[in-house]
Amino acid sequence: MNVGLIQLVTPDGCHDVSMTASELALPLSELLAHRGFPLNTRCGGRGLCAGCEVELRTGALRCLGDDTPPPAGASGRIKACQARAGAGPVTVEIPARSLQNHEPAVVSEFRINIPWARDPLVPGARVGAAVDIGTTTVALLLCDLATGKVLAEASAFNAQIRFGEDVLTRIQLCSTDPGAVARLQRVVVDETINPLLAEACNRAGIGLADVGAMTVAANTTMLHLLAGVDPTPMGVHPFRAAFLEHRQYAPRELGLRFGGDTAEVHLLPGPAAYIGADLAAGMVATGLLYDDGPALLVDVGTNGEIIAKVGDQLIGCATAAGPAFEGAGLTSGTRAVQGAIERVQLQSEPFAAKLGIIGGVAVPLGICGSAYVDFLWEARRTGILQTTGRFTDAFCVRAGDHVQRDIHGRKLRLHPRGASGPIWVSEVDIARLLQAKAAIAAGMVTLLSLLSVVPGDVKTLYLAGGFGLHLSLEHAIGCGLLPGLAVNQIQMVGNTSLGGAFLALQDRSLLDEMIAASKTMKAIELNLQPGFENAYIDHLALP
Amino acid sequence: MTTLEQLSEAVGAGKAKDAKALTQRALDEGARPGDIVDKALVPAMAEVGERFKRNEIFVPEMLIAARAMKEAMNLLEPHLVAAGITPKYTAVIGTVQGDLHDIGKNLVVVMWKGANFRVVDLGTNVPPAKFVSAIQEHRPQLVGLSALLTTTMPAMVETVRIIRTSGCPPVKVMVGGAPITQQFANEIGADGYAADAGSAVDKARALVGAA
Repeated sequence: MNVGLIQLVTPDGCHDVSMTASELALPLSELLAHRGFPLNTRCGGRGLCAGCEVELRTGALRCLGDDTPPPAGASGRIKACQARAGAGPVTVEIPARSLQNHEPAVVSEFRINIPWARDPLVPGARVGAAVDIGTTTVALLLCDLATGKVLAEASAFNAQIRFGEDVLTRIQLCSTDPGAVARLQRVVVDETINPLLAEACNRAGIGLADVGAMTVAANTTMLHLLAGVDPTPMGVHPFRAAFLEHRQYAPRELGLRFGGDTAEVHLLPGPAAYIGADLAAGMVATGLLYDDGPALLVDVGTNGEIIAKVGDQLIGCATAAGPAFEGAGLTSGTRAVQGAIERVQLQSEPFAAKLGIIGGVAVPLGICGSAYVDFLWEARRTGILQTTGRFTDAFCVRAGDHVQRDIHGRKLRLHPRGASGPIWVSEVDIARLLQAKAAIAAGMVTLLSLLSVVPGDVKTLYLAGGFGLHLSLEHAIGCGLLPGLAVNQIQMVGNTSLGGAFLALQDRSLLDEMIAASKTMKAIELNLQPGFENAYIDHLALP
Repeated sequence: MTTLEQLSEAVGAGKAKDAKALTQRALDEGARPGDIVDKALVPAMAEVGERFKRNEIFVPEMLIAARAMKEAMNLLEPHLVAAGITPKYTAVIGTVQGDLHDIGKNLVVVMWKGANFRVVDLGTNVPPAKFVSAIQEHRPQLVGLSALLTTTMPAMVETVRIIRTSGCPPVKVMVGGAPITQQFANEIGADGYAADAGSAVDKARALVGAA
């Protein structure tokens, strides 16, 4: 029986949380975590940090041990780990910075939608490592193969970045420099994967020798470079991969330092040169493969992969979305790291911007993808932007010095003092964002139309990738990134590449499923689809 | 406002449907196809190019305007041919071998047509030999090579080399695309480079001596 009610105000809106009698004594932070609102309890709920501070709007909270009101901090906020809700109704606001909604730098959260067996890929191994090698970031987790428990996680930037930010630059390097393949292979193993593995083992309190299995999901280029295979043919049409199949190695063959003589490394299979094992892993982890559909898996990243399934038909494509939604190439853009502005709320008259910053720091570093999505929506809603993505003249007149003009065009100041000067959104930035969102949107509608389906028919869209689990879906739909969809059709799934690698470690039959999925999926070259360019231009404007 | 003025405005604003309907209306009203191009489309695209250069509009709007222009041109081209109207200058263009991207290249096609060039578009993944035979067949003053992928830049080098050594009639070679730079253009012996579709028009006019 419910005995209490909390009204929560989060950056997404209002939520009602009811409590049973046994939950009345729980710390508020724990109760909220149970209800799907985990807070940044960085000190482990000991009241030592300010990670879980909330704002009491109406009603009263109580101290954990007695009925006195909990002390408010300097900010006037209350630490949720040190407070509990009483029986009376209460309204609590959770600022964005207190919501545990980011993993610094790398997304290692994922959602698994399918059941799995405990039938490890490498029999006899006690601990397994699942690895997702992204072009930019690498995430690794250790799993106890007897219990299925995650023992530790670790993530870092891919050390290959210094040889080029994107896949094509690295392929280009391999095609011109005969030593590049071996060098890139050593760099990702020695500087990224081995240290991450050591770090995770250290955290889990186990030795490297205890790790007996590793599964690797990644895009096809990253797998070539891990295996030391030249990816050059993938750089030009017909974009042929040297291998797409599942491969097995002994760790030492790749320079990986773990396990004993029986340890195995498994490179997961992929469908095509630009739709890699990361997507095959995602198709299994999200359950898309078992979905009669119409269903979509969309990975918003530089190559914006999209998979569509209707009945037995399974097709996929990559879109040249570019890195705009990862913050790259924009005036004040940044990845979703500590200090990044991740949420934006705008007011037009007088102009004001309410910003949610990761980690709640005072001096923002820049703007990350989810905030740009918010911006596009909010600026349209408040009449700041025209459908063309340019500022309205009326707004520019009344915005005073918030809007400035330089040789590149006009720009709007969101924050006067960022870590490296004011934080701006320029019309050029917006143009790049529009091109990125048009590429994804057009890829999606083009794939769907090949299957004679419209977005409204889609049962589930699994949204994976860089945005992690935290993006305003309403704003993503509203700004035209996911046109024709409704919030209830979309499920955020996070890093399903890592999720799929994690599954394959524990249930060998799921590797077979990935092999089957890779063979079944038909890759579509968007540039050869007659309707694509038109769809792309159609989706450039803001709704 | 006259029909031609309305057409010009519709193209500038990127209203493809209106542009098509107004082109048809202009034809129905007896306007000469050559005049529709010269008095409505050319000024409209010139204005789009100018605003782009002044950073008043950006790539998305330019693409939207170009599509409206294309709709109008598709309707006009058969009439232009029937009337025996050929622009003074001809350009051959294509995306180099190994690369399938053409949205940027297509934009240049429209901008060049908007500057009153006859444009022979060879499409994407065009082998060097196909450029050479098109040059022999169409005798263009200008050939444009496009590449979006870093990995297809070597194909551009090769294409320029083959055009230069093929013994085909002399032609100015212009290159462009996201990874291309002026320095790269110099290194591979291209005559010109344009960073975007707006400056591609000025560069083309300069190269053929129409400036």
